[in-house]
Amino acid sequence: MVRIDCHSHIKNKLWDAGGITPESLMEAADKLEIDAFCCSTLSFGMPTPEEFKMCNDIVLKAMEEYPGKILGYCFVNPGYQTESLKEIEKRIVEDGMIGVKLYNQYRCSDPVVYPIVRKTIELKVPILQHAGYLTDQAEAAEQPNLSSAQDIARLSFLFPEAMIIEAHLGGGGDWEWALKNLRRARNVYVDTSGSVVDMGMIEKATKYLGAERLLFGTDLSMEEGVGKIIDAKIRDEEKQLIFGENMSRILGRRSR
Amino acid sequence: MIIDFNAYLGHWPFRRLPARSAAELVDLMDKVGIDVAVVSSLNSTLYADPQEGNFELLEDIKNHGRRFVPLAVINPKYPGWEDDLEDCIGNGFKGLRLYPQYHNYMLTDDECLKLISKASDMKLTVSIPIRLRDGRGRHWMDSARDVAIQEVEQLAEKLPNSKIVLLESRDVVSTALVKYGNVYFEMSRMASIIGGEIKSLIQSVGASRVVFGSGVPLKYISSALLKIRLLKEDEEVKERILWRNASDLLGLN
Repeated sequence: MVRIDCHSHIKNKLWDAGGITPESLMEAADKLEIDAFCCSTLSFGMPTPEEFKMCNDIVLKAMEEYPGKILGYCFVNPGYQTESLKEIEKRIVEDGMIGVKLYNQYRCSDPVVYPIVRKTIELKVPILQHAGYLTDQAEAAEQPNLSSAQDIARLSFLFPEAMIIEAHLGGGGDWEWALKNLRRARNVYVDTSGSVVDMGMIEKATKYLGAERLLFGTDLSMEEGVGKIIDAKIRDEEKQLIFGENMSRILGRRSR
Repeated sequence: MIIDFNAYLGHWPFRRLPARSAAELVDLMDKVGIDVAVVSSLNSTLYADPQEGNFELLEDIKNHGRRFVPLAVINPKYPGWEDDLEDCIGNGFKGLRLYPQYHNYMLTDDECLKLISKASDMKLTVSIPIRLRDGRGRHWMDSARDVAIQEVEQLAEKLPNSKIVLLESRDVVSTALVKYGNVYFEMSRMASIIGGEIKSLIQSVGASRVVFGSGVPLKYISSALLKIRLLKEDEEVKERILWRNASDLLGLN
């Protein structure tokens, strides 16, 4: 059963990411039978083009060190539209990255993001969108531009050809709220990552979205990420889809 | 042999749990190889009188022999808790589980200190979950705080003869809590592989103060089980964590 972690990270000097290095990911891969990690490295605040290029350089280096094991997302700040589009083109077409990572600089329903989405449609790659619905006000205040499942659903209705991944169902607050919002947003996938292992989460996600729209991920919560899929009361074929087959299909669509 | 020190029975008011009864929990335990679950009533989080939940739990587990070890939920701010404690122990409860965040008291409040002192005199272990759910997505009516590590430190300092098992804890290795030999740690929220918090904790406090727990049925079990299975430690250390420590703490031998 192929296992592709669709949501992982590597540290950089702007963001520690739990100290995660490509080597520590390989150790985890060995223990948890993970075949590949889709990684980004990012920075907080409003990163400049120089900063997001630096992040992507780090991911590229890891891709080159561990070909086929570490796959890269291109991280950009949509506020720098020209530079972002150029960076995406370069990283996907020339460097072989597999998708675009958007963080919390802008809500994904903000029109500033639309050109990025059009670019991913052209290149046939997914967007991994950092997302959550934080009901705790103190938590929410820390990320005023956090995209919610509602924002993602809106974006998906505007761009039905886009492949959008809502990040970390288990790390974005009220996951039941997210599932309700995404049920009809049929071009949205949900990654199962995050430290939250609420029993029933994967079963309910499968019921609401179908296993075809769920992607295994960890977001560096390694044992949590694997354990929740192992325990879920769903069919083995559905676990296969979630663990890797769905992501394999997404990766197979990329323009060469 | 595996004893799950962090398990529950009953309804959780803010989300439908896939397993609520003892029979359903046994089914889950059998699937992953848990022999014994140390359980307390979830109903008692919000019942005004938590004693009602204790006896519901006792009724639920009565047909499941040695698969469950019941812990009594006592609210030291509610009248009659001394009698409730006596009744619970007389009816087979093996220790206490406190929900200070749902019963609106601090661990250092006089009533709570009195309860834990009495429990210590009776050689009872007291387990306390830091939290029962991740606060980021909490229901609007669920305003329970996470218990602060400093609060537990003060408790451990004031009552050195108590035995406190801290459930759902993490990031404790660099805190003063590790120096209190009467505090034990359940590991379900700590990392085994990346970061290696469980290993660091063992190095800091010794394997005798770490216990296995999962949080079932609030949480999936296998995430916690993987953490012990993948731990780079001798089998003897893993055995301690998986059941021996729990057995000693609860007097199950």
